[in-house]
Amino acid sequence: MEQYVTESDVRRIAEYARIGLTEEEVASMTVDLNSVIETLKPITEYNLEGVEPTFHPIGSLSNVMREDVEGESFTQEEALANAPAAQDGCFLIPSILGEGGDK
Amino acid sequence: MKKLEEVLKDWEAVIGLEIHAELTTLNTKMFCGCKLEFGAAPNTHTCPVCLGMPGALPVPNKAAIESIVLAGLATNCDIEKHSMFYRKNYMYPDMAKNFQTTQGPVAFCMRGHLDLEVDGPAAKERGDLAGLEVGETRGNVTKTEDGYVAHVGITRIHMEEDAGKMVHVGGGEGRIAGATHSLVDYNRAGTPLIELVTEPELRTPEEARLFMQKLRQIYLAIGISDCSMEEGSMRCDGNISLRRRGATEFGTKTELKNMNSFKNLHDGLAYEICRQAEVLENGGYIRQETRHWDPSGKRTICMRVKETADDYRLFPEPDLAPYDLTDEWIDGVRAKLPELPDAKRDRFVATWNLPKADAADLAGDKESAAFFEECAAGLDDAQAKKVANLLLNDVSAYLKEKGLELGESQLAPSALAELAKLLADDVISSKQGKEVLTAMFEEGADPAAYVESHGMKQVSDTGALEAIVDAVIAENPGQVAKYKGGNTKVIGFFVGQCMKQTKGQGNPKLLNELLAKKLDEA
Amino acid sequence: MGNFAMMDVASIQAGLRAKEFTAREVAEDALARVAVADAQVHAFLETCPDLAFAAADRVDAAIAAGDLAKAGTLAGIPVAFKDNMNLVGTHTTCASHMLENYVSPYTATCVKRIIDQGGIPLGKLNMDEFAFGSSTENSAFGRTCNPWDLGRVPGGSSGGSAAAVAAGMCTMTLGSDTGGSIRQPGSFCGVVAVKPTYGVVSRYGVVAFGSSLDQVGPFTRNVRDAALSLNALAGRDVLDCTSQDVTTDFTAALDQDVKGMRIGVVREFMDAAGLTSEVKAKIQEALDKLEEAGAELVEVALPNVHAAISAYYVIAPCEAFSNLARFDSVRYGFCDEGHHDLGGQYEASRSGGFGVEARRRIMLGSYLLSSGVYTKYYYPAQQVRTLITQDYQKAFEQVDCIIAPAAPNVAFKFGEISDPATMYLSDMYTISINIAGNGGMSMPIGLGADSGMPVGAQIITPAFKDENMIRAAAALERIYGTAPIAPAFAEGGAC
Repeated sequence: MEQYVTESDVRRIAEYARIGLTEEEVASMTVDLNSVIETLKPITEYNLEGVEPTFHPIGSLSNVMREDVEGESFTQEEALANAPAAQDGCFLIPSILGEGGDK
Repeated sequence: MKKLEEVLKDWEAVIGLEIHAELTTLNTKMFCGCKLEFGAAPNTHTCPVCLGMPGALPVPNKAAIESIVLAGLATNCDIEKHSMFYRKNYMYPDMAKNFQTTQGPVAFCMRGHLDLEVDGPAAKERGDLAGLEVGETRGNVTKTEDGYVAHVGITRIHMEEDAGKMVHVGGGEGRIAGATHSLVDYNRAGTPLIELVTEPELRTPEEARLFMQKLRQIYLAIGISDCSMEEGSMRCDGNISLRRRGATEFGTKTELKNMNSFKNLHDGLAYEICRQAEVLENGGYIRQETRHWDPSGKRTICMRVKETADDYRLFPEPDLAPYDLTDEWIDGVRAKLPELPDAKRDRFVATWNLPKADAADLAGDKESAAFFEECAAGLDDAQAKKVANLLLNDVSAYLKEKGLELGESQLAPSALAELAKLLADDVISSKQGKEVLTAMFEEGADPAAYVESHGMKQVSDTGALEAIVDAVIAENPGQVAKYKGGNTKVIGFFVGQCMKQTKGQGNPKLLNELLAKKLDEA
Repeated sequence: MGNFAMMDVASIQAGLRAKEFTAREVAEDALARVAVADAQVHAFLETCPDLAFAAADRVDAAIAAGDLAKAGTLAGIPVAFKDNMNLVGTHTTCASHMLENYVSPYTATCVKRIIDQGGIPLGKLNMDEFAFGSSTENSAFGRTCNPWDLGRVPGGSSGGSAAAVAAGMCTMTLGSDTGGSIRQPGSFCGVVAVKPTYGVVSRYGVVAFGSSLDQVGPFTRNVRDAALSLNALAGRDVLDCTSQDVTTDFTAALDQDVKGMRIGVVREFMDAAGLTSEVKAKIQEALDKLEEAGAELVEVALPNVHAAISAYYVIAPCEAFSNLARFDSVRYGFCDEGHHDLGGQYEASRSGGFGVEARRRIMLGSYLLSSGVYTKYYYPAQQVRTLITQDYQKAFEQVDCIIAPAAPNVAFKFGEISDPATMYLSDMYTISINIAGNGGMSMPIGLGADSGMPVGAQIITPAFKDENMIRAAAALERIYGTAPIAPAFAEGGAC
């Protein structure tokens, strides 16, 4: 069977997806992913020249929008009700040092 | 470090801007009905959608789509009829869904441009115009009498959503560095945001500043945003690289953030250009990184090194139907397009013969322009010119000093028009005009009545003034001799004497003319 | 006990109308029945008596005011919902540790529509974690057993929804179907199970798995109840941009004769390698009987359908990767506390909160969308989707519906399939319908000759012609009868 992803690929993918994996999990995940990716082969063997993709299986439905009218919002209490940690009306998280945002 | 002017002699700066504007004039967010409001209690303008609750789905705000199409039409963009939203996937806590809904390769607005008129000293930053005749074009630049016009391409304007806000606690001054925790408020999350990306066709910090200023005037004119750089509803990032003059390949660029005023935009870019030049001239190389402009330290600081290109796993957003805009719909938006600042400026010049710079200043501010038009309706060119002068100088100085907006003062357009007439028709002097204006601001005075009651009327009766001029000349033979001897400056002495005689109400212009004539005859 | 949950909509409403019992009694009885039967089946993750009694009291108030109809078309019917559907005040766990303590702050449109029609919500139903699976073995809170044989799986991912109806604990339940998650458990548990055309039912409030594939639908024991459920569920929801206007009265198709109906038979389906002989025999029998009843059988070809599984295992994990990114321990969900940096909290919470199949699909999606890989798999998969959609469109120029197996086999035993790739084949007959977006349902047609377990015939319809499957299903019901409650749970049964 073809090797599509290596263990180091799997570590990189896990890092992006923010999934912590142990070394054993990396090993078994690598095997699993390679076996699933192998089954995707038919997709790569198609001649698809000139075929439009279907990203939305909704026929000709388009331009679905709403009017700019205010709806209901949560109270602060409702918004925070499921929060693992909160402070001063905000969601509380540990330091994000070293993270890169892009805005 | 070398000065900018010096650096730009050897190096060409290649600048592209990414300008975000929140559509603050709408009622609700991009994909949900939560209210748009700056400064509300944390997380009170949130719902399942903008908190990214499991199962929630987005529904686009029609008014936001109209706004971006309006922005595209106002910046000469092609409006793409077929476009889609995409998901830009990366995890960051201010983004509730951990993907940003944005657009893909095709945005609502593509391939636009703005023409920047760069005049006066600002034009000198551009060192590559030597040898260009007026009217001649090289690259994207056309030489003009006072400077040049730069034709700056807009790659695209796309629709997206803003993130929430984070406050970092435990460190100093709300900074990430040293913080132990962060607080997240999603009130801003999902605010409709449009991002304009320019082609890398800007060459000087001044061009960048002018571009931003012009775009801001346009957005304000079409009413899609309050464009507050301070509150962050309009934000600008710059991409900067240098190359040797004459080179065609691009150098490595850095991305510069936190330029939250026109001055910071100019100064940040200017610093970064000089910094890069120094690194390169010392044999170093530029790292691809994101830098932060620190206005108090007057320097840029590295925030993040980009070792590899970002891989955001972009794919079409399956929860949102694609767009298939019709000509009718686009024309409907086009019909809402107001007169834009450039057209307004040209009309002011054509209608009232205003100097172009004054017309541009007025036309660039929606409120001033409307006020001017209300005043100037029915006035002749000279009177309208006085209105423009008053608005741009005395009125704006007064408002600035008092910290007021035009609409907040009790100045009425009809009153200002009246004052302009009194000035243009030489009924009062400009010095008297200032006094009247102050009274108008502070007491709501009627200019004509005020002039009347304060006995301010300027004497412009040639016959009456001639008699006084004759008398003053007769009384001062010594000064007349000086004048005849070639010292024409003594005319000021004569004007002063005449004013004394008229208790300050003689028309100085007329007196000057009469004195010059009589002294020459004497 | 009245065993009301074993009754259908018409009988319950007749009893209510005749004042033989009250809706309150229906609720009490149904909850009591759940307490007994579910000890064996484990279909429920939570019951919500307060909400059930509140709903029942509204129905009783309407009856007292002399107008049962005002209480809705499903007034007094015991219902329950797959646990990926938000119902305010209940937990919505998706059978995952990630959402173990999450309490819904809002209600899904599909749930709201059923309750607005007077349905009595008994609780929330087990599933494969985040709907990743075909056996309900992947639930973080224990497996659900097939009421027909407690040693076998009920199918999945909506295994709890199918089992609750098969065991007579509910008259109607809702499930969701991304690649077969309604139809396959419907077949395994021998109940009527409908996946409408994509866009017929709003997805708002249903925790997303594959956004372009997910669709909500009902489980019932007869076709009429399924049609009533569709009437309540179908139609445009302003909160879901992909939902569409549907005003069909699905009950109108119940009495339409099957005579003259053109039914498609797909050779590739009937001759597929994995199809067991007992299932094949039952499907062939059903086709023969429909032909006897006057339907016209027409052979149709779906030349690209063999690539559907590959396309699905590209599209679904990509959408899932993105949909599951929001579970980050910040606003809700499992949080591994005590970390000094958010990155550490993210990774520990997501590996601690998600089960192995969820992690596998997230990883697969993250890989498939990465730069360079996207153009190799994701984009072509969406092009293949176009070809499969066109295959169905062409086939439906010739026929009103297609009949095929819902699953290649009957319910398998616990632990029998452990390899993910083999488990994925369980959906070989259902996946292409999600890819194309058409409607499909599983209709019970008796028991397999070898296993004695239920077999379902899948009826596939053109997009937004879901009434066609009601028509064909009603014909099959006239032949095979309504779906029986699993013998051990039927009145007089062992449980």
